[in-house]
Amino acid sequence: MNEIRTFLLVVRHESRVLVADRSLVAVMVLTAILVLLGLYNGLDASQQREQTIAALLVKQDETRVNNVARLRRIMAGEEAPEPFSNPANPALVGGGQGAQLAVMPSLPLAPLAFGQSDLLPDHYRVSYRNKATFMYDAEIENPWSLLSGRFDLAFVLVYLLPLMICAMSYNLLSAEREQGILKLLMSQPLSLSALVLGKTVVRLLPLLAIATLLPAAVLLALRPDVRAPDQLALLAGWSLLTTAYALFWFALAAAANLFGRSSATNAIVLIAAWVGLVLVAPVLLNVLVAALSPAPSRIALATETRLVTIQGLNRYNELLSTDYRYTDKPELLLPQQGRFDVPARLRAFYLIHRDVDHEIEGVLAAFDRQLAGQQALVDRLGWLSPAVIFHEALASLAGTGARRHQHFKRQIDDFHREWRAYFEPRVQSGTAIQAADYSTMPKFVWQEAPRAETVRDLALRLLQIFLPVAVLSGLALRRLRRFSVVPT
Amino acid sequence: MKTLLIARREYVECLRDGRLLWAGGLTVLLLLAALAVGWQNRVAVESERTAAQQLDYQDWLAQAERHPHDAAHQGMHVFKPLPPLAIVDPGITPYVGSTLWLQAHRQSEVKFRPAQDATGLQRFGNLSMAWVLQILGPLLVIVLGFNAIAGEREQGTLRQLMSLGVRPRQLLAGKALSLAASLGTLLLPLAVAAAGFVAAGTPPEARGDTWLRVLALLLTYALYFSTMIFLVLAVSGWAKTSRIALVTLLAIWIAGATLMPRAASDLAREWHPSPTRVEFNRNLDDDLSAEHARAWQSHFGVDKRWGADLPLNRWGEALQVDDQAGYTVLDRHFGKLWNAFADQQRMQEWGGVLVPLLAVRALSMAVAGTDFAHHRDFSVAAEQQRRTMQDLISHDLIHHADPLGHQHFSYKAGPEFWATVPPFTYAAPPLGFALRESWRAQLALIAACLLAGVLALVAMPRRA
Repeated sequence: MNEIRTFLLVVRHESRVLVADRSLVAVMVLTAILVLLGLYNGLDASQQREQTIAALLVKQDETRVNNVARLRRIMAGEEAPEPFSNPANPALVGGGQGAQLAVMPSLPLAPLAFGQSDLLPDHYRVSYRNKATFMYDAEIENPWSLLSGRFDLAFVLVYLLPLMICAMSYNLLSAEREQGILKLLMSQPLSLSALVLGKTVVRLLPLLAIATLLPAAVLLALRPDVRAPDQLALLAGWSLLTTAYALFWFALAAAANLFGRSSATNAIVLIAAWVGLVLVAPVLLNVLVAALSPAPSRIALATETRLVTIQGLNRYNELLSTDYRYTDKPELLLPQQGRFDVPARLRAFYLIHRDVDHEIEGVLAAFDRQLAGQQALVDRLGWLSPAVIFHEALASLAGTGARRHQHFKRQIDDFHREWRAYFEPRVQSGTAIQAADYSTMPKFVWQEAPRAETVRDLALRLLQIFLPVAVLSGLALRRLRRFSVVPT
Repeated sequence: MKTLLIARREYVECLRDGRLLWAGGLTVLLLLAALAVGWQNRVAVESERTAAQQLDYQDWLAQAERHPHDAAHQGMHVFKPLPPLAIVDPGITPYVGSTLWLQAHRQSEVKFRPAQDATGLQRFGNLSMAWVLQILGPLLVIVLGFNAIAGEREQGTLRQLMSLGVRPRQLLAGKALSLAASLGTLLLPLAVAAAGFVAAGTPPEARGDTWLRVLALLLTYALYFSTMIFLVLAVSGWAKTSRIALVTLLAIWIAGATLMPRAASDLAREWHPSPTRVEFNRNLDDDLSAEHARAWQSHFGVDKRWGADLPLNRWGEALQVDDQAGYTVLDRHFGKLWNAFADQQRMQEWGGVLVPLLAVRALSMAVAGTDFAHHRDFSVAAEQQRRTMQDLISHDLIHHADPLGHQHFSYKAGPEFWATVPPFTYAAPPLGFALRESWRAQLALIAACLLAGVLALVAMPRRA
């Protein structure tokens, strides 16, 4: 009971001191500004992405409606079909005219971290063309900006929050020891642990409120879909994760203080830790991961694609030198009793794309395996730096990380196969596309990765951050017993 | 004389101090690792690229007899060469592709950005000598020099120094010289090693330009580190205690190295917006179809492209008209996009006056040949190759207009025709190009250095 009372006394006193010397307020205001700026950028970008996708889906729907309407007019004899844009021709509809948009929807928590969203596309236009033609589109972005990185909330939390914590607590005990106040304090009925805890709490709580509650409140106010129960749970997970990361830095600061060196030494130790853990370790880890699981050669992929394309061109050379009979027999462009005379040349294109797909499948799979291998390494070696774990976890909660994109690519694989399977018999046997077919054609339906996976992932990352927190706290506790209140 | 004395004393002190050993040693280790990574990357990529490029052209020459337009669908691959200095500064290399597939009908974009084959860790930064020098270099200067003046003030030795009649300018020069000497001791051997590796990786015909580029790069970093030295001395001279100097300098460094580049790049995107992929494609498609419709109407008097109204024996001509009409539209749209990127970067280069990192980054990658201007130069050259190929094909098709009525693709070209398409040879532009393109960054860096120098001079103590 007494312990609690002294603890509260410490908290009250320390808050008064910090408010009076304005440093707490200054750091809080600065942090709040940075957090809001980062969040604004994230909100702005997710909104833009969502609007773009919505517009694309509307456009796709319009195209489908147009195709159906044109097909009806053609069948009614009101419009003449065109050779390269014919809604009845299965080779054209499956190839480009009816190409389906495959979209990875942005998650309600997307504004929390840009992740890889400025680099990896969130939609592809899938047709029966081979994957090398549509899978490697990327979002248009100035490479200079990609190099600089974005000013998002993840950046503020991963890079800047630790600095704020260090600035607040590098002299947690050392200042009072240097001023000789600690000696006086300790002559009172007050334990050192209550003092350290009280001082930490005064700094921790307001910072955490700004780093977690403020963004959460803004998100809840501006994005209604965050209010769904499962999203609220994820948001809580995010807050816990941020808290864990903040605790790591507080524990580090406390441990540094309890070694009993000067404030200046503490500051240098903390800044060195920041440089090492946040700036250098991730960059070195990136090199290590790339060396342990190197990307296959893209040049080899290009060469392979070209070689199989040549083989295809040779194999179907006869089909390609097709007749363009419709120029003098335009009625050939019309379906006749459900049949359509697919020009041999277009059939050849279909076959070449199919063959190329088949041949390069192995090469493309090697890229995916390698990336998955790198990701597994990052997960395994992430404990080397809490910044890495935290950064990865933020992107994965926001749904903008590499892992979700891999999941997206796997779904596109399946959809691409389904699409081809739908069109292959129609192209090969010359079955005309009917108006009704437009509503029964395969459609891409996004499947979110199983929730259990996300939760397991989050739990693992929390563990990976809490473990060093526990180690540092243990170290601090041990030092606490041997701590001398007078400068040595 | 006094200047040299100060410099010598300070330098010896620095050598005895553990700081140079620890901070310097770590930096040197990182730089060595970066050099090894850069070298290994380049060796792996370059030989493969050269081989692939040759193979590609051989296959083009040896292809079977086929209709030229089909050959255009097969197309050619061109691979962007990695400049020799990329082992020091890869610049935007991880974020731009290196492979272009030149095909019929449409300008392709450079594909396969290495960052797409990497995990999210890539976004923390790319280990290269340039990264270490630009980001961690200033920290090294801070660690070595934060107490250069403030420390003397604390210890009371500044009073003695002043009593000897040392002028502010002499004090600044001495301190700056000693810091420069410390940095030189650490970095110059590495610079020599890096230059050796760069030279070893350069084909003999490009050595002259490469040496000039190495020299320019050395000057660039000399200027950057001078700026940092002056800045550190300015703060150290201004601050009452070395603790205040250290905290202030760290705050400036963190803002300059992590916060400002991101903020500047976001600001530049607001100022000179670039389109999203969807917007870009939609605008390009709309303009292309309008331009194509106009060209077909004016040349052939028909409304529909590739329709039944135009006899097949004129399709070679049509292909030419269609392509030519597209070229101007493509130039306009890609030009606009690339100009937006360039404008975004230029705005940030001017920001280099206050945030030297922005200027040195732009200048360093320009000199290394890994910036956007060089990438654009390559893209333009590759597109030119595509157009050459397209024009030759249309021309050939005009001469071999369809003899067989509707058997449009019955004509087949052979090896003599394939040989008329020249191989793609690309030489990166010389240093002069890089210097012309980066004059803003040069000016900004010089201005930053002068500004820091003036600040340092003003901050030098006049009385103890």
